[in-house]
Amino acid sequence: MTAVLDKPEAPAAAPVRRRRKRPTAGAVIVYTAAIALAVVWLLPLLWALSTSLKTETEASLGQDIHWIPRDWSLEGYRTLFERGDHLVWMVNSTVVSSIVTVLTLTLCVLAAYGFSRFDFPGKKIVFAVIIAGLMVPGEALIVPLFDIVNALNLSNTYWGLALPQTVPPVMVFILKRFFDAVPRDYEEAAKIDGAGHLRVLWSVILPLSGPILAAVGIFTFIGSWNNFLWPLLVATDPSMMTLPVGLGVVTGGYGLLYAQNMAAAILGALPLLIVFLVFQKQIVKGVAGVGLK
Amino acid sequence: MTVHTEAPAAAPAAAERPPRVPAPRRRSWTGLWFVLPFFAAYALFLIWPTFLGLYYSFTDKSLTGRTPSWIGLDNWAEALGDERAWNALGNTAVFTLYSTPPLVVLSIVFALMVNRARRAGWFLRLAIFAPYVIPVSVVTIIWTWIYQPDGGILNHYLEVLGVQSPDAPTIWLQDEHRAMWAVVITTVWWTIGFNFLLYLAALQTIPQDVYEASAIDGANWWRQLWSITLPLLKRTTALVIVLQLIASLRIFDQMYLMTSGGPNRATEVAIHYIYIAGFEGYRIGYASALSYVLFVLIMIVSIVQFRLFSRKEA
Amino acid sequence: MPNHPPPPGPLTRRTLLAGSAAAAGLGLTGCGSLAVSLSDKTVVKQWNLLAGADGAIMTEMHGQFEAEHPDVDLQATTLGWGTPFYTRIVMGASGGNGADVATAHVSRIKSLSPATLLDPFDLKEIEDAGLDPDAFPAELWDKCFVDGELYAIPLDTHALVNYYNRSVCAEIGALNPDGTLLETTGVEDYFDVLRAAKEVTGQYGTSLDTFGGWRQFWAWYRQADGEMAFGDGDYEMDDAKALQSIEVMYRMAEEGLCPTFADGAQCAANFENGAAGFVQVGNWEITRFRAFSEAQGLDFSMTEMPDFFGNRRTQGDSHSFILPHHNSWDPEVRRATIEYVAYMLKNSLQWGAGAGHTPAYLPVTESAEYQALEPNAEYSGVVDNVQLDPEVWFSGSGARLFDEAGTVFQQVYALALNPEEALALLKERIQDLVSLPNPVD
Repeated sequence: MTAVLDKPEAPAAAPVRRRRKRPTAGAVIVYTAAIALAVVWLLPLLWALSTSLKTETEASLGQDIHWIPRDWSLEGYRTLFERGDHLVWMVNSTVVSSIVTVLTLTLCVLAAYGFSRFDFPGKKIVFAVIIAGLMVPGEALIVPLFDIVNALNLSNTYWGLALPQTVPPVMVFILKRFFDAVPRDYEEAAKIDGAGHLRVLWSVILPLSGPILAAVGIFTFIGSWNNFLWPLLVATDPSMMTLPVGLGVVTGGYGLLYAQNMAAAILGALPLLIVFLVFQKQIVKGVAGVGLK
Repeated sequence: MTVHTEAPAAAPAAAERPPRVPAPRRRSWTGLWFVLPFFAAYALFLIWPTFLGLYYSFTDKSLTGRTPSWIGLDNWAEALGDERAWNALGNTAVFTLYSTPPLVVLSIVFALMVNRARRAGWFLRLAIFAPYVIPVSVVTIIWTWIYQPDGGILNHYLEVLGVQSPDAPTIWLQDEHRAMWAVVITTVWWTIGFNFLLYLAALQTIPQDVYEASAIDGANWWRQLWSITLPLLKRTTALVIVLQLIASLRIFDQMYLMTSGGPNRATEVAIHYIYIAGFEGYRIGYASALSYVLFVLIMIVSIVQFRLFSRKEA
Repeated sequence: MPNHPPPPGPLTRRTLLAGSAAAAGLGLTGCGSLAVSLSDKTVVKQWNLLAGADGAIMTEMHGQFEAEHPDVDLQATTLGWGTPFYTRIVMGASGGNGADVATAHVSRIKSLSPATLLDPFDLKEIEDAGLDPDAFPAELWDKCFVDGELYAIPLDTHALVNYYNRSVCAEIGALNPDGTLLETTGVEDYFDVLRAAKEVTGQYGTSLDTFGGWRQFWAWYRQADGEMAFGDGDYEMDDAKALQSIEVMYRMAEEGLCPTFADGAQCAANFENGAAGFVQVGNWEITRFRAFSEAQGLDFSMTEMPDFFGNRRTQGDSHSFILPHHNSWDPEVRRATIEYVAYMLKNSLQWGAGAGHTPAYLPVTESAEYQALEPNAEYSGVVDNVQLDPEVWFSGSGARLFDEAGTVFQQVYALALNPEEALALLKERIQDLVSLPNPVD
């Protein structure tokens, strides 16, 4: 993973308010061009949607390209559900991404809190080792990692799929920097009341960390959901595959069926598009934060 | 996937107070217990494979599970002289070379347009960023069909526009010289949203009065673009290029799914060759050596990135 | 490390310890798919590579198997043919946790490192399931043994055959009075037929899969008695005969007698929509052509490969069932798996009739019912003419030699390489393969 780190600080200056102007010719051109561009950008998805709503015969009329189905049909979606494996993959993806997200958050929050609030022998070394991991590319480790997961007898299991994805050093780093900036007054008040460390973390620090936990959580979830290479290696068993892998490597057994294929694509795109729509603000802010330092 | 997270400001009330001098902390083992769960997983899934891979690179370890034997530097010598490995690295470089300029230039253009057309901003953002969250296999299923020589929508519109004749459909993914371009186009469509948002955010931090001042001096839009906007986007551009470089070195998914590295290995990239050597070819030992070569390359780029972007923080 | 006094907050530490121990415990027990654990039947996971028209026949047979075995939940999956399929088999078997049973080409058994990655069949258990181990063609049966252990049970023999469009052939006078195809001798003879067919179709004489060139190459090379032998770091090939086979491809494409570019699907489509009067493709496409014929009318039949170099040899292979390595077999699953294999063999008449493959189980092929099948009878000689791929760890259906040579021949059909260049590249690719250390033995 690439580390792009950010200090917790107030977001950049609020955009300066612009005076309202009457639309100029330039503005009209810009708006038209921008909207045209956005539409072009959506065309591939719209084309897939259009095809998925045709009958198989209509979809395979190669030379006759038309956007509005003549014969609206849910045939593609129906066969997909009859086959059933799409649903299995969706469940697997949800299970794996949830495990990864929960574990990543748990492990990283604990570690970050440990680094931020405590001094313990060997802390510097341990931290340095974790920071060095920022530069280790996961893709270059697939071969030995596959071997390790096999040796632990975890191939084709949810744990084998999830665990190796739960150790992103970058998240520890980000959370530690955030915790570092959280003033200690509250904690000390809680400690005087007799709360233990975990209690302090749970009831004082975490409530203050909502936005960053959400950001880390969403990005971890999306990253894990869309991970292709690792599940491709570990989930050789179709009933253990995640959605991206299943869609990529399992062929239907009936040859190429375009409407069904596109229905699979649309259904495959849907879950994260929904996640994106729901969390649009957090995601956009999360990405934007990378450049704003 | 690249993980980028913004750390929002701490609780506002707290932030206003001047930070207190941290109380001197007692050295104790407590902190270690917090760090331990993460570190255990980290050691097992990151540190251990790093060393195990190094060890395997000196053996003829096979996927078949037969007993490996120590073969010294044989794998390394073979890797350095392996034409196919160099070809794969070359293709990775070609991909980087083809994909980076459009991913930089187009995202600037998009960001400039959307920045001007702010009132349609949410829709534009949605349209351009949406592909980024779609799983790679969905992207390749759709694009493989778009690229179909016969009956694909791309060739159809090229014919409608009169660019090509229906009798000689352009072959995209199965043509040695076009396949990489086809993958690049797909990748640009898929991933540009990320860079676009980076630029958009950067544009929105440029204070408006800078433009107003220069407008008074008589600078037109074009002048402003070259003398104000683009120079202010330099840092973002450097970031985008480095991120692109790292992402390109680890490219695999699109090629595996769209072309299987073909035709004639024209789109076979580094990770794909590691996959081929290790898993298709059973040679875990050799693939480990190849991984290390790539490992070192990515490491170098990462260090450059680190130096570029952490200096400011220090 | 020094043993420090316990830190404050023992509760904290204990909780954390318990937490990580629980996580580790869960991790070690692993966790199978929800899809499998939710099934209350005995789940048998079958992986196959039959993505073509024969896949539909197999799916049909699976439906019947499940109907007759209500206690078994057969979860069959079709994976991308060739390398992707075999790579998954090997990766799954290396973890000891993949498929229960899988299809595999007999030519690939040795390259799957059976000693470590496959589990052997027990002769007694297959007899108990009602199969007669002596009722297989001897030569094929022998190939399923490695070091005295039975690693595969053959289902069929299949090969490259020649389909012809009867209407086109009638128009050019290429049919016998009984409606079968006239035999030709030599390349020129057959090219004349293709030229005439091209006149009629207006596009191609014959269609073929330009991505599967190895099959055509090996058929023609073997027709000319070409041999390929592999030693330690080197190999022997008859360059003249190889060049002669490549020239056939090049000339055919150059003259427009066959497509310069056609993948499996387009190759078949060309024949269906009348763009080509012939198609040289596997017998398995018969299902597809039959379906097309029923839907839209296509008068076709099939015969052995044309005689180019003195005989009608063809490239072919056998599908078989293998048991990828299991860390441990659940006896119930094992029993159901063997039951499944036996069922498929005993009912392989349907496999032959529907998918055009020649069943390997002799009680089936010797039955009167099978003998009466058309057009299977017209290409029954194919079994004797089948040429298996050369024996070396990177050879066999969908193996590296097949793939690498295929990409060379694809460029021959595309006219991007002339025959001499192609031969040179082919030799280079084979040399590369031979130079690789053998990771299997």
